This record gives sequence, structure tokens and C-alpha cells, in this order.
Amino acid sequence: MAAIVTEALSKSYHGHGSPFHRASTVRALHDLSIEVREAEIFGFLGPNGSGKSTTIRLLLGFLHPSAGRASVLGHDIAGESETIRARVGYLPGGIAFYDSMTGAEQLDYLSRLDGRPSPLRGELVERMELSRRDLGRQIRDYSRGMRQKVGIIQAFQSDPDLAILDEPTEGLDPLMQRAFYEILEDRQRAGRTIFMSSHVLSEVERVCDRVAIVRRGELVALTDISALLDRRRRRVELRLDGESPDLEHVPGISEVHIHEGVLTCQLEGDPGPLIAALQGVGLRDLLIEPARLEEAFMEYYAEDEASAGGAGEAA
Amino acid sequence: MNPALLRHTFGANALRFAVIAAGLVLMGVIMPLMYAAFGEEMAAFIESVPFFRQVASSFGSGDLFSLAGTVALAFEHPFTLLLVGIMAIAFPALAIAGERDKGTLEVTLSRPISRRGLLATLLLAGVVFVAGLVGVLALTAGVTVVLVGFGDEIELANLAQLWLMAGLFFSVLLALAFAISVDSDRAGPAIGIPAVFILLNYLAYAIGGIWPDVGVLEDWSLFNLLRAREVLIDGAALSDALVMLGLIVLLLAIAFYRFPRRDLPAPA
Repeated sequence: MAAIVTEALSKSYHGHGSPFHRASTVRALHDLSIEVREAEIFGFLGPNGSGKSTTIRLLLGFLHPSAGRASVLGHDIAGESETIRARVGYLPGGIAFYDSMTGAEQLDYLSRLDGRPSPLRGELVERMELSRRDLGRQIRDYSRGMRQKVGIIQAFQSDPDLAILDEPTEGLDPLMQRAFYEILEDRQRAGRTIFMSSHVLSEVERVCDRVAIVRRGELVALTDISALLDRRRRRVELRLDGESPDLEHVPGISEVHIHEGVLTCQLEGDPGPLIAALQGVGLRDLLIEPARLEEAFMEYYAEDEASAGGAGEAA
Repeated sequence: MNPALLRHTFGANALRFAVIAAGLVLMGVIMPLMYAAFGEEMAAFIESVPFFRQVASSFGSGDLFSLAGTVALAFEHPFTLLLVGIMAIAFPALAIAGERDKGTLEVTLSRPISRRGLLATLLLAGVVFVAGLVGVLALTAGVTVVLVGFGDEIELANLAQLWLMAGLFFSVLLALAFAISVDSDRAGPAIGIPAVFILLNYLAYAIGGIWPDVGVLEDWSLFNLLRAREVLIDGAALSDALVMLGLIVLLLAIAFYRFPRRDLPAPA
């Protein structure tokens, strides 16, 4: 069974008109159809205003869909929101707490609201490096990073079947980010599903199995991270020590340039044919830059800006 | 109904409740003491000046020259309205619109709590606060009346009815604040609209009482349903209680209908 299924899920906001202005409709999400598998870490990418938070808020019942449907852990978001929230841990972006409570009181309170035990609290507190003294302080005295740590603990403390995380590493230092990634991997090994939105492409690349990219409320890509990266063109640089090889006809190679003994080209797909073609070629150095999710992401958005620019010119 | 949320709500509002209750204790003690100390002199003074006599007999039901009027004044005085009104209006506004604005409502509603369940829990807390505060006033006034030796001049059963009527009156404000808060994204409008409503009603009650040509304003004011002096002397009018109950049911029906259906936008 899929952890999350959305079918043509859409959300529009209708503005209020006035005698001087026509009512406007803002399309926040349009025809989103994705499936998040059980026990996978799923990344949900897009720039600000692309519909990421709207999707999360629809899944949790804070917003009502304008069209389409969705189910979470087999329960329909329209009629079974409470059942869904009983099995989901949620970390909102920039989570808010009651400032007068201590960290421990806040976690206790949220656990009581959950109505279920918190078997992972102790382990999470340790991994997030929060001391008993830290948890005994009022939240108003917490730094942004410490609030985020408490946010992460509250989302996972009851060991939910699905965690929905909105920008989860916001405010965390690199060491804590690493600890957080390890928590995600442990939860995945325990069979739990993670759905996370993020702006940090390197973190999505590192921890996610699959990714959906949304742009202006529409899905533009839904793919395995590894497949996405495999398809990416990578830059190759050869420092030659002698004759330059003829790479023009090697499968997957394009844009070959030679300048002062340095050959650069683009490699797409399997590097085997390139390696074979370089047999016997004198080389001082060989560099194949790894494919980056960031480039794929930027490519999707470059297309978008180009089409927007074209539309603007046409208009 | 969510016990954890209810406990949290009581805890979070305990200090506010205690401070307001202290103010009401003061009110409940002072008014009967003033009657005991100056009641006769005040009655003689009012009787000697026809204008004052006319105003005193036409504006509101409270006065300082009868025991019932003095106790009634404790319930209708602007200071009391302000104190109990703070709880009746600000509590729903801060607990719903205010928490939505801060983002804590989102964290609460990400738990397995229905929006109606949340509303019912907050409503129960609000009714306890309002009934408790008015009860503190009624109890303090009743005890003070007995202690200063006028216990036989007032029907304690009627004082209990006044507690009930004042509780219903402030519950109308509470229900109005709930109905507005569920549709507000910020605490400001959720507090401001009911506050302006109650102010207009008070002005209508005052102007209508003093100026006979616009007496209809007094009749239609919400304050006309809380005639504290009449309640203390003759008992509560069932029709007034039913009108207030009807208003409460109507406003809560709006709140319970709207809240689950509206979108909760992301916090500011």
C-alpha cells in the first residue's frame, strides 16, 4: 500500500472582489498526482510559492481541496483527517511553541495530545544533543536551532508511520543535520515513511530515494534520485600528455573542446565507452564531475523562466 | 472534547482568571459596603434633586440607595463588564485566531483532534471561566451582604438567578467571540468586533435610558436582557433567559459550522 496517493489534487484560493477590483483566483496547486511508497524517503522540491506547503496542508486537513482527492496511509484526507493525524508526525516550517513552557513540558503536552506513548523520545533527545538542563529551560530562551531540534523530536517521538516534514533542517548546524539524516535513515530501516519538503538540494540528494519537483503548483518531475542523476550530463576534463583522442563519436559524449592540452566534454549516461576510448591515450589527469541534483533542479526552472520570458515577449 | 487540551487551557489562563477574579472580589465587597455606609444619605440626596431622581430611575437597574440596586450595580458596572468581558472576548480570540496567527494552533491541530473537538474543549473552558468569574462576584457580594447585616433584605435564591442570568449574558459575548474568532486569522479583529458590539449595546442602553425619544434603543440593547435589580427583587424573567440562550445557540451553531469548513492558512 502506498503511504500517500494524490490524484489530480488541486487547490485554488478565491480572493474577495470589491467595487474597484475584480475577485481574483490564485491557483496554488493544480492536478498533482503522486504516489509515495511505504518506507521510502520522499523529497518534495520547489521554490517558494510552488505549492509544497499547500500540498502538505492539504494532506493534513488544514486546507480543503478544490478538486481531486488524496489518501494518506490508506485514509481519505476529506473524511478521515483525524485518523490520518493519529498516525502522522508533522514538523511545520518554522514551528511555533508556547514560549512559557519548557522544552520538556512542550514535548509532554504534545505527547498527551497525541494520545499515544513516546517510545523514541529518549533516543531522539540524545541524538539531538539536548541535555536535561536544555529541556528544563523555557522555550522563549531557545535559539532557532534548539526550537528546530524540539520540533524534530515532537514529530518523531511517537514513532509515527509517516513523518511529514516541512524544511526540517532549517536552523540546524551541519553536525545536527548529519544526526538528523541518520534519524531519517533509521526510521526508514524501521519501515517508516518520510515525506519532506526542502530547499536544500544536497540534503534531498543525500537522503531521499525519490523526488517530486513542483513548479507554479504543477508537478514537473517525479523520479528516482539515482535515475535523475544518471540521466544528467556531467562535465569531463582530461589533461592530455600527447595526442588528443577523437571523442566526437563516442556514445554519450558531446561538446568536445580542446584548449592548451585540456580536453573538456559532456558525458551523459554510462562512462564505459569513454573509458574504452581513452585506452592508450596519454593522460596527466582525468576528472568526471559528479552529477548534482541542483543542476537538474535548475534546469527545470531555467525551462520555466524561458517559457515565462517567451510568454512575456509574446504578450 | 480533549482532556489534555482542557488542562492546558486552564493552566494557561489561570493567572488571567485569578487577576480578574481578584478585581471582581473587590467589586463584590465594595458595593454592599458602600450601601451600608452611604445608602441612606445617597437615597436622601437623590430624592432631593429631581433630575438625579429621574436619571437614577431611568438609566440601568443599578443604584447606590437600595441594597438590590447596589448589588445590581456590581454586576452592571463598566468595571465588571470590562473585567468579565476581557475573559469572554479575549479568551476565544487568543485561543483560536491568536494561536492560528502564532502557529501553535497548527501544531495542536496536527494531532488527532477534530476542529469541532477543539472548539468544544475551548468552549467548555470559556463557559467555566465566565461562570466562575460571575460566580466569584455573586458569592462575594452575597457573603458581604450577610456580613454587613443585610442578609434578610435580599433573596439568596434570586442572587443565584442573577448569577445564572449574568452567566448567560457573558456567554452571549463568549459565543459571539467564538463565532468571529473561527473566521479570523488574527486576534485583533476577533477582539475588536465583539468589543465594538458590546460598546454599541452599552451606548444604546445608556442613551435609550436617558433620552425617552430613543427609548427603543434601550429595549433592543443586549443589556436590557440583564436587568440585575429586577432579577434580585422579582427573580429572572424566563423570556430573557430564553432569548440569551437562543443567541448563544445561534452563534455557536455558526462557529461549529464554519470552523471545520474553513481553510487554515499558514501562520504569519
